[in-house]
Amino acid sequence: MTSGGPGGWGRPVRVEGGLKARSRRGSIGSAWWSRRFIDILERVCDKGRLSRGRAYARAGQVLHLDLSPGLVAARVQGSRREPYEVEVGIEAYGEQRWAELQAAMSAQAVHRARLLAGEMPEEIEEVFAARGVDLFPRDLDMRCSCPDWGLPCKHLSAVLYLLAESFDEDPFLVLAWRGRGRDQLLSELDAVPGPPSDPDLVEDVPFAERLGDFFASGATVHRPERRGTPPPGLLLRLHPAPDGLTAELTAAYTAFAES
Amino acid sequence: MGHPFAAGVGELRAWLAGVLDKVVEPVVELELRLLLPGSSHEPLSSPEAGHASPELGLTSPEPGLASPESSLASPESSLASPESSLVSPESGRAVSTTRLRLRTWSVPALLLQPADALQLLHLDGTPGHPAEGSGGFTATLRHCAAVAAFAIDLVRRGRVVPALVADDPTAEPGDMWTVPEPNAEARWRPVVTGADAAHLRELALAMPPACRTGAGERPSATVLNHALAQLTDAAARRALTTPLVPRARTLRDRWLSALTGPDARCVDLPELRHDLDRWHRTASTEGGARLCFRLIEPPPTTETPEATDSREATEPTAITEPSATPSEPPSIAEPAGDPADPADPSDITRPRSLTEPLGIAEPATVPTPPPPSRGDVWRVEFALQPADDPSLQIPAERIWAGEAVPGLAGRPGHELLAGLGRAVRLYPGLDPALRTAEPYELELDTAGAFAFLRQAAPLLQAAGFGVHLPRWAGKSKLGLKLTTRSRSRQSAATAQGFGLAELVDFRVDLAVDGRPIDEAELAELARLKVPLVRVRGSWVELDDRQLQAALRAVAGRREGELSAGEILRQVVGGEEGELPLLEVDADGALGDLLSGQAERRLAPVPAPEGLKATLRPFQERGLAWLSFLSELGLGGVLADSMGLGKTVQTLALLVHERAERPTLLVCPMSLLGNWEREAARFAPDLRVYVHHGPGRDPARIAGADLVVTTYGTAQRDVETLREVGWRRVVCDEAQAIKNSGTLQARALRTIGADTRLALTGTPVENHLAELWSIMEFCNPGLLGPRQAFRRRYQEPIEARGDEGAERALRRATGPFILRRLKTDKSIISDLPDKLEVKEWCSLTPEQATLYRAVLDDMMGRIDDSEGVERRGLVLAAMAKLKQVCNHPAHLLKDGSRLAGRSGKLARVEELGAEILAEGEKALLFTQYAEFGGLLQPYLEQRLDRPVLFLHGGLPKGTRDRLVERFQREEEPMLFLLSLKAAGVGLNLTAASHVIHLDRWWNPAVEDQATDRAYRIGQRRSVQVRKLICAGTLEERVDAMIERKKALAERVVGAGEEWLTELSTEELREVFRLTAEAVA
Repeated sequence: MTSGGPGGWGRPVRVEGGLKARSRRGSIGSAWWSRRFIDILERVCDKGRLSRGRAYARAGQVLHLDLSPGLVAARVQGSRREPYEVEVGIEAYGEQRWAELQAAMSAQAVHRARLLAGEMPEEIEEVFAARGVDLFPRDLDMRCSCPDWGLPCKHLSAVLYLLAESFDEDPFLVLAWRGRGRDQLLSELDAVPGPPSDPDLVEDVPFAERLGDFFASGATVHRPERRGTPPPGLLLRLHPAPDGLTAELTAAYTAFAES
Repeated sequence: MGHPFAAGVGELRAWLAGVLDKVVEPVVELELRLLLPGSSHEPLSSPEAGHASPELGLTSPEPGLASPESSLASPESSLASPESSLVSPESGRAVSTTRLRLRTWSVPALLLQPADALQLLHLDGTPGHPAEGSGGFTATLRHCAAVAAFAIDLVRRGRVVPALVADDPTAEPGDMWTVPEPNAEARWRPVVTGADAAHLRELALAMPPACRTGAGERPSATVLNHALAQLTDAAARRALTTPLVPRARTLRDRWLSALTGPDARCVDLPELRHDLDRWHRTASTEGGARLCFRLIEPPPTTETPEATDSREATEPTAITEPSATPSEPPSIAEPAGDPADPADPSDITRPRSLTEPLGIAEPATVPTPPPPSRGDVWRVEFALQPADDPSLQIPAERIWAGEAVPGLAGRPGHELLAGLGRAVRLYPGLDPALRTAEPYELELDTAGAFAFLRQAAPLLQAAGFGVHLPRWAGKSKLGLKLTTRSRSRQSAATAQGFGLAELVDFRVDLAVDGRPIDEAELAELARLKVPLVRVRGSWVELDDRQLQAALRAVAGRREGELSAGEILRQVVGGEEGELPLLEVDADGALGDLLSGQAERRLAPVPAPEGLKATLRPFQERGLAWLSFLSELGLGGVLADSMGLGKTVQTLALLVHERAERPTLLVCPMSLLGNWEREAARFAPDLRVYVHHGPGRDPARIAGADLVVTTYGTAQRDVETLREVGWRRVVCDEAQAIKNSGTLQARALRTIGADTRLALTGTPVENHLAELWSIMEFCNPGLLGPRQAFRRRYQEPIEARGDEGAERALRRATGPFILRRLKTDKSIISDLPDKLEVKEWCSLTPEQATLYRAVLDDMMGRIDDSEGVERRGLVLAAMAKLKQVCNHPAHLLKDGSRLAGRSGKLARVEELGAEILAEGEKALLFTQYAEFGGLLQPYLEQRLDRPVLFLHGGLPKGTRDRLVERFQREEEPMLFLLSLKAAGVGLNLTAASHVIHLDRWWNPAVEDQATDRAYRIGQRRSVQVRKLICAGTLEERVDAMIERKKALAERVVGAGEEWLTELSTEELREVFRLTAEAVA
């Protein structure tokens, strides 16, 4: 770590090995949960602050970010030697409430079905709404140890931005913030996806038993029934591509279908 | 040690250059160290040695092999890790039967770029490709070609995802301010699930050891996955001709643009790489069971009385409105209106209710139907189908009750839900069903059912889900019905007095589901404007275009009188409009003909006087059918499966008819001798003239009843043959004219005759282009022009499996094709358990020349010898002559080309093709293991089916495995066996055919071999064929055995020794070659 400018104000201290925002250009993805969180950010924080926060985060000034039920705690390297302590709090729900919510999810197979298919069920918000509670916070309880009076300050903005990115990648973090980690939720809902099947285990006949027909096929390969060409990009619809690739890849799949 | 017979890289390069248009450099030359079987001094030659194509191994860089990347200085060499290596072909050497062991040999090889490998392998199966002319692909090449075909198919079906493959996945990303070096590759990766996974497994099991040899034994799965990955990437790149991004500005763009074109290098982006890996993992995670959807139609309504037959025609209540009563606004039925149909104006102004229950947001995929309220309730039931037992389906209801799914490792409930979770992405309409804890079905109203039928079902099916629809789905039931009544009320059992010029009354009606409907009913259907209606209790899908066509058609109802011939032409060749001809109701002889059941309706014709054969009942019916068509002047295709006596039925027809003018019979050269002998045996009174060879004389045609010639001669002499007024032209093995465009087929069509007949043992109805060609020969013009045929039948059937088109084709061609199977109930009781026949083959001129040379040489030496030496020479002479009869290459042992040089081989090929086409298995016995060694790869390649080969050189384990495979696998296949190694003991009851390729002059030995198939456990009739070259020692010795059979005990067990006791004069007589031998 190199030392920054003198005194408390001015350029932030450069950080090596801080939590960097993704190098990928562009913004947070288009998944429904990402949109929800961006809505919140834009409510508490104007565009200018958010983009400064993004730049701050890109420079790697956030040293540490920890998410626990109800609380996101972070340390951000500002212009002072000592990093600032940042906290973002929301209401974490207790066991009782979670038991209710999980029971409601169990009652509708759509939740388990989507979770087992490797997806965050959009319908989950309905379950929260039906019980008069929020999944995504309406307000955030934010604190930063810096002397800046503006709320949110750039340190908070950087943390919020990183948080939005994390949620974009892993929507289950929102649930964890509310008090239920992914693993616990999946196991209590009995919705842990199975391991990928391994189709390629074949017991080979040793060469020693194939000396006489070394150059010949050992079994019959049934010619697969010729299947029609499915609508191009069916795979994209079944298993959505990582963010921002859909447009380019759709062109590729169309070309495949015509090949 | 260097492989002593390997061809050098120069030869390999030359071969490659001859086969591929353009080779993408670099092709890397190297020496591979390969584990190969052989004796301690020399490796075993590959069975296809002598063929011009090399072996193809799937070589991936591995420790111990000089890594080709490092061995080349060229910068491009590191672009693709080389995947396929061509290993040199060996010089032609016979199969060794000594004890084999494994040793490492070094072999010159070429490493190909994946794009080259794909181009090369894609040639397999394309007729007329350059490698075919030079002997075709070896078994290893063919296996690799199957992998390439799989890769190409995966790409076509979009079962691939892009990936980023880092050179070193653990490397730290570089500083973001320096210009990054390419340190990764952009690749397309196959997504293999479900049926594809099963296919991949089969490919791994089938991989010849030679494909996975290296410095050691490599696991087939590893080799296969590696090859599939490379070929898939190459196939994807070949399909992508334009870049995915116009200009690469960012590193991500650079990755995208490296997904097309030859250069796959790009910069690693760890986050993107992880995202892509995760994507590949999710896409590949489809479990051990398949989710199926079954659409169940509503139970028949009880409140609406259904029309009974007596009042059906005018009963308007017969059509029940599906989900709306007339008092409701019509818009309720509209969500099901075909949105693609511009004729439906309500579509544009369709009101969308915003207050539908649940208020679920609707993605655009499939309109979510409103929940069923009243009226008909359709159900879509869910079930799981285990991957390894598709015949089983376990309904979701039973899964929730705790039933296990066999073979499924995970929990069935999870499997079911995960499937539903994927399915709901494609079919959001599924959502309401998922609002319970344990979903087992989805309820739909009629509009929803229609949406499911038309939109969701094809999409789900394409995504790999099982979809089961009611039997009527996708079939058009609205169409025309033709009724004809003949005026002369003659009995149906004969064509006597009936001609195609006779006038009949006809009427054309509109019909739904086979029953005529009237104008009022039609109008009611049109008024409902729903695409799914219940007509007299059964559901009918209607499309608006058809309805409009029907409304127009009903205005001009057609009836009147036409000639029977014209009716026939209309039914068979008439163009199809919007309304298909769905049913024909005809009486009299025309009815018999059009029904396609004439064979069963006609009175059987007993064997005519002068036929020296007993006809079985089905052959009498066949004769009746043949003569019925002949009398009408119509051509036919007799396509009885092999062994049912097409030859004897044809000869019976000639004898029965006693026509004044001759019949011309055209057959392949390999059958010429057979026809001549069968005619002499069964119809000795027929005057037969074989028009063939240099001595042929057109003047003799006039004095003959039957003129037999070959396809080649017929084409050459077409001018002469055209002059003759033939009673009939017969084509045997009519597959020969399957290509309508060939000179041969066209020449034959120009030979005029009263009537024509095609004989074939292969199921012509499965190959539509061939069917047209053969029908065009039999009844020129009747099926309409080729283009129309293709449009109306071939494309709908081959591309979509269109059942309506299939039915129409059957109706059009049924009258002219008679095909009976050995397994038909009406046939099986008439067949003996074991049917033994002799098949006569001819020699090629080359065989005849060689035969004479061997004969002259050996007879001279026999003359000059005596005692033990003489005996030895007689046996040697006999062996050599038998080898000539088999194949010149069998005698010469020079590894030369096999195709087109032996009449017997040609016949074996034809028989093999017929047996395989019937889906059966055959044993082929030879007393010469080396002949089997020649035949095995040749037949496998020509017939493109497995040909197993068991001989004395194989260890016990291998023999057991071959027998086990032959008995167990369902695929039709041939089994070559050496008489000595397999004559006794083995149980091979999966075979229903036995072919003795060469004769062992001892009936007991042959019978013992035959009994491998004909024994306890055999449930079918077994056909035994002994191949005999006409005019050679094979025929003479056969005759002697037949004569001696009465006192045969003396012969039994004596092998061929008795022949050595014959005098030189007797031997000369036995060995002599007569003129008739040569084709």
